[in-house]
This record gives sequence, C-alpha cells and structure tokens, in this order.
Amino acid sequence: MNPPDAAVSATSNPANKGQHGRRLRQRCVANRWFYFLLAPFFLLFFIFGLYPLLFSLYLSFLRWDALSPATWVGLSNFAALAQDELFFVSLKNTLLLGLYHIPPMMLLAFVFAVLLDRQCLKLKGLWRAAVFFPAITPMVVIAIVFSLLFGAELGLVNYLWWRAAAVVGVEAGVLPWLQSESWSKVTVSLLLVWRWTGYNMVIMLAGLQGIDRSLYEAAEVDGATRLQRLTQVTMPLMRPTFLFVFVMSMIGTVYMFDEVFVLTKGGPGVSSTNVGLFLFDEGFGAFRFGYASAAGYSVAAGLFLATLLVLKMGRKDHTA
Amino acid sequence: MSSLGKWLAIVGLSAIVVVITWLPQLLASKSPAGGPVVEVWAWNTAADSLNALASSYTQRTSDVHIDVIRNGTDMQTRFLLSLAGGVGAPDVCQLQEREVGKFTESGRLMDLTDYAARYGPDFAPAAWANCQFDSKTLAIPWDLGPCAVFYKRWVFDRYGVDPDTIETWDDFIAAGKQIHEASGGQTHMMSLSSGDLSEFFQILMQQAGGSVFNDRGEIAMDVPGNQRALEVMRALLDSGTTAQLEWMEKLSSFNSDAVACYPMAVWFGQYIKDYAPDTAGEWGVFRLPALEPGGLRTSNLGGSVLVIPDQGDERKQAWDYVEYVTCVAESQVRQYRDYGLFPAYLPALTDPYFDEPDPFFGGQRVHRLFSADIEKVRPLTRTKDWAEAERYLRQTLSTWAAGMDHQRYLAESADALGRKLGRPVAAGASDPRGVTE
Repeated sequence: MNPPDAAVSATSNPANKGQHGRRLRQRCVANRWFYFLLAPFFLLFFIFGLYPLLFSLYLSFLRWDALSPATWVGLSNFAALAQDELFFVSLKNTLLLGLYHIPPMMLLAFVFAVLLDRQCLKLKGLWRAAVFFPAITPMVVIAIVFSLLFGAELGLVNYLWWRAAAVVGVEAGVLPWLQSESWSKVTVSLLLVWRWTGYNMVIMLAGLQGIDRSLYEAAEVDGATRLQRLTQVTMPLMRPTFLFVFVMSMIGTVYMFDEVFVLTKGGPGVSSTNVGLFLFDEGFGAFRFGYASAAGYSVAAGLFLATLLVLKMGRKDHTA
Repeated sequence: MSSLGKWLAIVGLSAIVVVITWLPQLLASKSPAGGPVVEVWAWNTAADSLNALASSYTQRTSDVHIDVIRNGTDMQTRFLLSLAGGVGAPDVCQLQEREVGKFTESGRLMDLTDYAARYGPDFAPAAWANCQFDSKTLAIPWDLGPCAVFYKRWVFDRYGVDPDTIETWDDFIAAGKQIHEASGGQTHMMSLSSGDLSEFFQILMQQAGGSVFNDRGEIAMDVPGNQRALEVMRALLDSGTTAQLEWMEKLSSFNSDAVACYPMAVWFGQYIKDYAPDTAGEWGVFRLPALEPGGLRTSNLGGSVLVIPDQGDERKQAWDYVEYVTCVAESQVRQYRDYGLFPAYLPALTDPYFDEPDPFFGGQRVHRLFSADIEKVRPLTRTKDWAEAERYLRQTLSTWAAGMDHQRYLAESADALGRKLGRPVAAGASDPRGVTE
C-alpha cells in the first residue's frame, strides 16, 4: 500500500491541464486501496457528522417538533432567542461556572503536574492514576456521592461543618449546597474541579515533559533559584499548554451536560442551568428542534469568536 | 498483501459487519412458536411487570410472543424519533401521564376508540380524560398515583401525635410544630426542598381543583385552586417544620428521625420498602389532609398509559395484549400486588386483595385507603405542552418560595407560559371549568 503523493500545484497553462488530470487519475488508481480504506471514515463522518451539522443549520430556520410538518419561520427563532430570558440566564450561569471552576482547576492541575514531574517522586504511576481517576468515574456514581456529601440536612460536609463549628464553640447554620440558588453553582464548580483536575493535569504533565531539560540546567548554571526556574523557564514555556487547557475547558463548560443534569437538573430554579442543559431541554424536553438549533448555532458562533479572541490574546502576550 | 488476500479481507470484514448489524434483528423477529412478535418498550418496575404478565398472556394465546424491552429513562426521546422517522417504533409503548399529550396530538398513534370506548366508564375519569384527543381514544390508562401520607409510627408515637386527628393541612402543620418542638428541632414534619416544590404543588393543585390549561387549551394558571395550593405551601414553609432534602437524602432519611412523614403518591411506598426493609411494620399511612374540613382527601401524582404506534404490523395483537394488561381486573391486581402499580381500571379495586392488611405498614389496610375517592380527582386538561409547563413550574417555584406574592407569581407565570407556548391566557381569575367546591 503506497501513501498518496504530495499534491501537485495547479497550473494555469491549459496545455498542462490534460496532462495534470491524467496524472491525478493515475495516482488515484495507484493509491486506490489507500482511498478505499479511508472511505469508511469519511462516509460515517458525512452521515453522522457533517449532515447533522448542516441539517441543524437548516433546522434553525424552521419550527419543527419532529411529529408535525416543519414550517419555515426565517429568522424568528433567532429573534425569539434574543428575547428569551432563560437563554441569557443560562449564558450568565455558564460564564459564572467557568469563572468559578477553571482558574482553581488549572492551578491545581499545574501543581499536581509539577509535583508528578519531579524526578525524586516515588510511585508516580499510582499518584497519576489516583488524580486521573475522577475523570473516568461514571457521572451517575459521582452525582449520587456528591448529592449525599452535600445534602443540607444529612450530608457529610455539613455534618463536618457543624462538628468543626461546635469545636470552636460557634453555632453554625445549614449550608444549602444544593438547595439554594446562590450555592448551587459553587457545588457544581466543586464537582467540576474534582472531576477535571486530573484530566488537565495529564495534559500539563505532557507539556512539562516537553520542555528541554537543558534549559533548566542552563538556568541552574546561571544561578537561578527553584522559584526562578519555575517562573522564568517553566511558566513561559507552558503558555501554549495553559492556553489549550483554558480553551478546551471554556468549550467544555458551555456544552457541559451530564454534571449539571445528574447533580442539580439545572436547579434550584434555573440557578445552575448552563447552555448545554438549556439546549437539551429545548430540543429533547420541549421538542423544539428548530429553536434549539438556532440557540446552538448562536452559541457556537459566540464561542468561536471568544476562542479566536483568547488565542489572539495568548499569541500577542507570547510575542510581546 | 496479494490482490486475492485483499479481496478476501474486505469480503470477510463486510460479512462481519453485516452479521453484527442484522443478526440480533433476524433473531428477534421470530417468536419461539413462529407466530407474531409484539415488541413492548417500558422501563424499570413497569417493564418487569409487563414481562411477568407476558408469560401468562402467552399461555392464553400460544402463538403470540411478547418481547418486553427494558429501556432507560430517555425512552420517550427514542420513541419520538421512531415515530418521526416512521420506522423502528415498538408495537406497544409505556408513556408517563405527564408526557402523553405530546404524543396523542401527534397523529402517529393507533386510534383505539372502536376497541376501547366501552371501557371508558371503568377508568378513573382523570386518567381516561388524559388519553383522549380530538374525540378519539389514543392511549389506555395503566396505573395511577393516588396520594396519601406515609408516616413513621415510631416518631408519631414518641411525640404523642395521633394521625387520625389530622384532617386538614392546618392540622398537619400543627402536628408538625408539635413534633419539631418536642424533638428540639431534630425532626421535621416533611421535606419541602426546592426540588420538591413542583411535585407538591401538583398534588395540592389537583386536590384544590386548580389547573394550568383550561378546556380550550388556554393558560389558566391564575385560578383560585392554584392560589389555595400556594397558600398551603406557604403556610408549611413559614411553619419552619419542613426539611430541605434532595432525592438521595430523602431515600436515606427513611431510616432516621430526620423527617416524620412523606405526603406522596402510592408508588413512593415501594421506595420505602426497598430502601428501609429493616423498618418493616413501623410505618403507617394516613389520608392526605384536606384543604378544608370535609374536603377531598386524595390527589394524583404520576401514573402512566400504554399506547400503540400506528406504524406496526402487529397492531391487532398489540391491542389484545394492552387490553389484557389494562382492562382485566386480575392483571391489574397482580401488577399492584407484585410491582406496586396502582390500578387505573376501577373494577380491579373491588378485588379482595384491597382489603388485605399490609404487614410493612403495621398491618394497616393501606390498599383500600389509597383507593378511596380516586374517582373524585378532577380531570386535568394537560395538552401537548404539559411537560413544558411542568418544567416551567420546576424552574420558577423556588423564586416564589423565596418570598414572592401568590397572585403576582400566578399572573406572571400565566403571561410567561402564554408567551413561551404561544397560547392565549384565559381572562379573569376564574375556575377553569366554572365549578366551585
């Protein structure tokens, strides 16, 4: 099986065009097994990836509940979205959830990565697996454990809180982790930090291990302290990794679904409803597929712009 | 690899894919007896119950095989997609009462009027009304969720509260205060967390004759029944005797003194039995407190129906099975006795089983207690938008609970739902059916 030849640059000379076409055909025939074996991926991608993507774009201009005939409504789904209070609440919640959990999660992931990168650490594999474990634990199990831990009346966290307060001699009230609109985002954020720190730690560890060790040796020769090596060598070289983790976490927060769905179902009220849950509720709860598609595309457009902005800022800082 | 080898590899791989894809269907499409197969979708206990009845049904009609497929909770989405695609739907599907309107209005379900109309008077009016659309019967009620209060005898006895003296919600609150004070604030009367608000509102709303939609499909939230329901909820919240338990906490509270009782539907009893088997015999049930002395002492929460999509080849056999499950007293009693699914078919309630004591509830005749007055629960107009209206209530009642005025909440809810669902808001705060208590 031969790999495909490098693409031949197009030529504007009409006399060469026929020859060029012949060569292309010959290469296609010569590499037919390559294309044949690649075909299943593209076939599946077109059917289950590209087609739904384009169909949902078309859907965003329709009113359709999957059972009645669809009707063309133009831009009215987008107009309704602009007036939908819940949509903006879900955007605000998403932003706050991101603010609450991404910075501490990145900090913890970096700290764990630095610790695990140390040569002297014993049982590295065990520690790495332990920190990574929450990322592969089934979400339903996590939700059950968290709802029992953070229960207002019978939860372990509040019990420890009351015990601690009693030791100090203070009467502590109930902390409504899951019952209060002000607290629910904090509880979801704690879950997110716990669940995703290990995953991001692995990415950061890969970033750390990609740094040339000779740079540290050079810094050491120049008399740099351990802190200086961290701030002057590690941090600047980790910037692309930080940027990657930040962007992926940002996208993950917007489309996050299972964590919120199983822990709070977006409540109390709508206090922890993020964009992912909003889209699910509109699409598969209310069967408003056109409206959900319009919301999905609007969010995707906003997210695309935000990502570009973040990447541009990251690059600008890097080159400054 | 030689050319022949490549072709053999491709043919071999293709054959494996075809076998993996089609074999289960090929195997499933024939009954062991070679007769027609009726595919049924249901979940959890409901699926177990249908499976148990399938065996006895097959013994009666030896050539039909019932294949009960146990689905997850997202079954209605898959059912919707199979109806929308016109292919892949089962022959019989379970639906929750709250979502049935969406499907009956779809025009994709078999019209059962000719077969089922004669059974209409045999079902609880509220359940039967929910299965009708456009003068057609499109679903058959399967089980109901009559409500009462599950209580811990040991807690009531310890604090000297006699459940027989609790007739109204005012009495209930007074008893709650007595328990809460006597226990030094350790035991709450019931849980009314933000997650409980929507379900509890629906219990009280039906008891008080409230509504979300009127008979014309208009939004009718701002009605006296709903105001009364909110008044009771406010009184309970203000009494300081309610706990804030989420679902998992509630299940674990069965074994402790944190909460004294649970006003809930009949199916909740099965959870108590499953999660607190060691407390058998120490529980009791008393009737739902009335809104005023002599008022209705029951309500409904939950319940489900069976439907037959109009795309299947085995519709006649499907109806035959549905009829056996829903319109035969013996089947309905068996489902209640073995799986806790309370009969929607009223003749089943005359079965001697309903007078038998339940050892788990201290030998009390709880089955008869739950069956009392269920025919008096008023039918609700649910429409295809019920599930979305319910979602709205779940999302907004915690804002009301934080201190919003009833009238303002109901008026704002009516407007918001009208805008969201594209339905007119009924004029004036009148009862939706013009009926007064």
